[in-house]
Amino acid sequence: MGRRGAQDGNITVKVCMGTGGIATGGEKVLAAFQEGFARRPVSGTVEKRCGAHRVGCRGFCAKDVLVDVIINGVTTTYQFVKPEMADRIIDEHIIGGAPIDSWKAGPEYASFHGGQNKIVLANCGNIDPEDINSYIAAGGYRAAERVLTALMPDEVIKEIKSSGLRGRGGAGFATAMKWEICRRSPGERKYVICNGDEGDPGAFMDRAIIEGDPHAVIEGMIIGAYAIGSAEGFVYIRAEYPLAVERLRHAIKQARERGWLGRNIAASGMDFDIQVKLGAGAFVCGEETALIASLEDQIGEPRPKPPFPVNKGLWGMPTNINNVETWATVPKIMTNGARWFASMGTEKSKGTKIFSLVGKINNTGLVEVPMGIPLRKIIYDIGGGIPKNKKYKAVQTGGPSGGCIPWEHIDVPVDYENLTALGSIMGSGGMVVMDEDTCMVDVAKFFVSFCLDESCGQCTPCREGTRALVGLLDDITAGRGTEQHLDTLQELCQVVKEASLCGLGKTVPNPVLSTLRYFRHEYDAHIRDKKCPAGVCRALIRFSIDPAKCTGCTACALACPQKAISGEKKKPHAIDQGLCIKCGICFDTCKFGSIQKA
Amino acid sequence: MATIKVNGKTVTADESMTVLAVARREGIDIPTLCFHEGLGPYGACRLCVVEAESPQLRRSLVTSCTLAVSEGLSVETETPLVAASRRIIFELLLGRTPDSSRLREMAKRYGVETSRFRAAESDDCVRCGLCVRACRDKIGVAAISFAGRGQKRRVTAEFGKLSEACVGCGACANVCPTGAVRLEDKGGERTIFLKNNLIGRFPLVRCGNCGTPYATKQFLDHVASRNSEQPRTKQGGLCPECERAHYAEAIVAEFSAS
Repeated sequence: MGRRGAQDGNITVKVCMGTGGIATGGEKVLAAFQEGFARRPVSGTVEKRCGAHRVGCRGFCAKDVLVDVIINGVTTTYQFVKPEMADRIIDEHIIGGAPIDSWKAGPEYASFHGGQNKIVLANCGNIDPEDINSYIAAGGYRAAERVLTALMPDEVIKEIKSSGLRGRGGAGFATAMKWEICRRSPGERKYVICNGDEGDPGAFMDRAIIEGDPHAVIEGMIIGAYAIGSAEGFVYIRAEYPLAVERLRHAIKQARERGWLGRNIAASGMDFDIQVKLGAGAFVCGEETALIASLEDQIGEPRPKPPFPVNKGLWGMPTNINNVETWATVPKIMTNGARWFASMGTEKSKGTKIFSLVGKINNTGLVEVPMGIPLRKIIYDIGGGIPKNKKYKAVQTGGPSGGCIPWEHIDVPVDYENLTALGSIMGSGGMVVMDEDTCMVDVAKFFVSFCLDESCGQCTPCREGTRALVGLLDDITAGRGTEQHLDTLQELCQVVKEASLCGLGKTVPNPVLSTLRYFRHEYDAHIRDKKCPAGVCRALIRFSIDPAKCTGCTACALACPQKAISGEKKKPHAIDQGLCIKCGICFDTCKFGSIQKA
Repeated sequence: MATIKVNGKTVTADESMTVLAVARREGIDIPTLCFHEGLGPYGACRLCVVEAESPQLRRSLVTSCTLAVSEGLSVETETPLVAASRRIIFELLLGRTPDSSRLREMAKRYGVETSRFRAAESDDCVRCGLCVRACRDKIGVAAISFAGRGQKRRVTAEFGKLSEACVGCGACANVCPTGAVRLEDKGGERTIFLKNNLIGRFPLVRCGNCGTPYATKQFLDHVASRNSEQPRTKQGGLCPECERAHYAEAIVAEFSAS
């Protein structure tokens, strides 16, 4: 690459090469820089910038391709980089020493990252995820080496216990306790599993970690396997994450070559290897017993608990399942110590948590923050608030299994206990932000419908109960709701929640219960007044034209797909309610505000 | 042996027993649909839920058919939550299978006669899986299985066609609690229907003695392949009635001879 130049070795160009970066042309940008250097008397290292960072700044990925130019340790970040921009960046900035201000990333790039505390995501965006050397140079595998050569399994469990680490995948069970039960549970073999079947709508933290720092997951699993006494591990990952799968497989291969997987790891006498298994797209396979059934090549359906997997899991053997983020946190704790980890967070929720901030929010992306951070800080400081200055209505945490948090609780310190007390859950860390234009009954229907599609259909409350829930919500949003509907809804929710077989069914009613708790008035408006306050439920809205404001420009009539709008030019138009399908195109088209939605 | 509490009463039971078995032993009524003594635990219909609590288990609803006895376990079978669950589950099942008289009778015994949750499409199958499990786990054939997820879950032979694996034993129809699996022996022929889909059609073998059609050849072959030869069984095939008579005669003959 390139001829030797005066600044050789001091220049690094990092090009986003994650899912987002590749989609916006990262590979071509990388090639343009490589060719640019080859043609000039300078040389630099053109590194792939890991995809997780790019995914992490997805709000800015809208401004992708992002490129870091690092000269003598000073980083300049460019946004919207196209291949043809590479030459000018090399000539003016790298050779000429004058960064191109108009192409640089804006101030929100700094504010987005400023409020965060990146521990698990620290490597993402900084190391090359396809090169084990890059991970090792960043301190990787040192924790595993120390654990395997200097610590007893019980000491590892003790360290994790005093760190206060709790599972990052859903219920927040104490990680050390799970390891300990699995360690003490009798069985001729034991298994460790990494749950990478991330399926919540809008959640992508596990994907980002595996795409950006796959060795952290491997190292975490080595440490866990040592503590538990397991020689075999599995990563169950969605087939819909091709880049993550590829990088993980590549990382496992490299780890085997370096002796971090296989026989006699780090000359410690420990044997451990990891297999990658792809999920086939069933949301329910994120539930641990269904995941185990799928790994056994059975139909991916959950099994009754007890027995719990730590006692009787994969092929009937004690099995420890943690999710991607939990595993990736483990090496950080073993490197920096339990006290360091426990110094962050709240009394019962330690460390940091990654959230995927999506929906009606300016800075969409992954954020890693200390537990206990006020929700307001995530939404307004890091997230940059709601687009178009609309009003915040709620944020759904924990995916379809979670609940919503209304404005009156915007200052809640985000941790396991507080979210549970508010009727939601931490879950895997999804945060879907909703603004004033969102109908909360419709939101509840959306999440319950998602679960209706994803229910395995094995048990009655989930299969039939979820269908019945959708039916009741359908009635309400279509204007057929009665007071009786609300009573039935409450009664049904309780039974589906308590009597379902697995975690999927048990949490299906959460969005309904939580919207009923905080937005009961919206249900009442749908039922009593036959109105949808947010103007979302089509059956309950009506478009009309205010003749005083209509100029007869005909724009709406031309745009209407139903030809439901008629009128003479320059005279007020009218909507034929019989033909109107309430698509709202006229409303969006009118420049004079003459279309009314009620 | 472990000491547990059932509705406040202290009883002892072996750890190999389920709570359902203990409750029934104690004369406590718990409804079940997907449970069968001859088949393994399944826990899908959820009708047998009880409120349980133990040193390892926080108080929650658990299916008594899957819950093993353990020291310190305490279960309640008639709490308001249990009653509400039974009622709603019966309503949900009736909403899906309104025409099953057996289910209606059962629900009525628990005070449920109507359902608020009528499904758009109804059939007689409650997805209890008894037929699937009997065929797979006991007969060892797996001619039928569940296909589809969620609302599309249904019992079917492979690819919805006439099953090649089916031996026509009729165990599926025998265990079906709603009559969704039907077996018909008519004109020397046996047909088996899953709802309205024909899954098996077999000519029946006639009894070597009385001439009554009684079983399919495939089933007799299947039984023969799984059993060692029975010394007193007459070669050539007899219906159960004639076989019994033959067997009795053989024993009498044996004893008279000695």
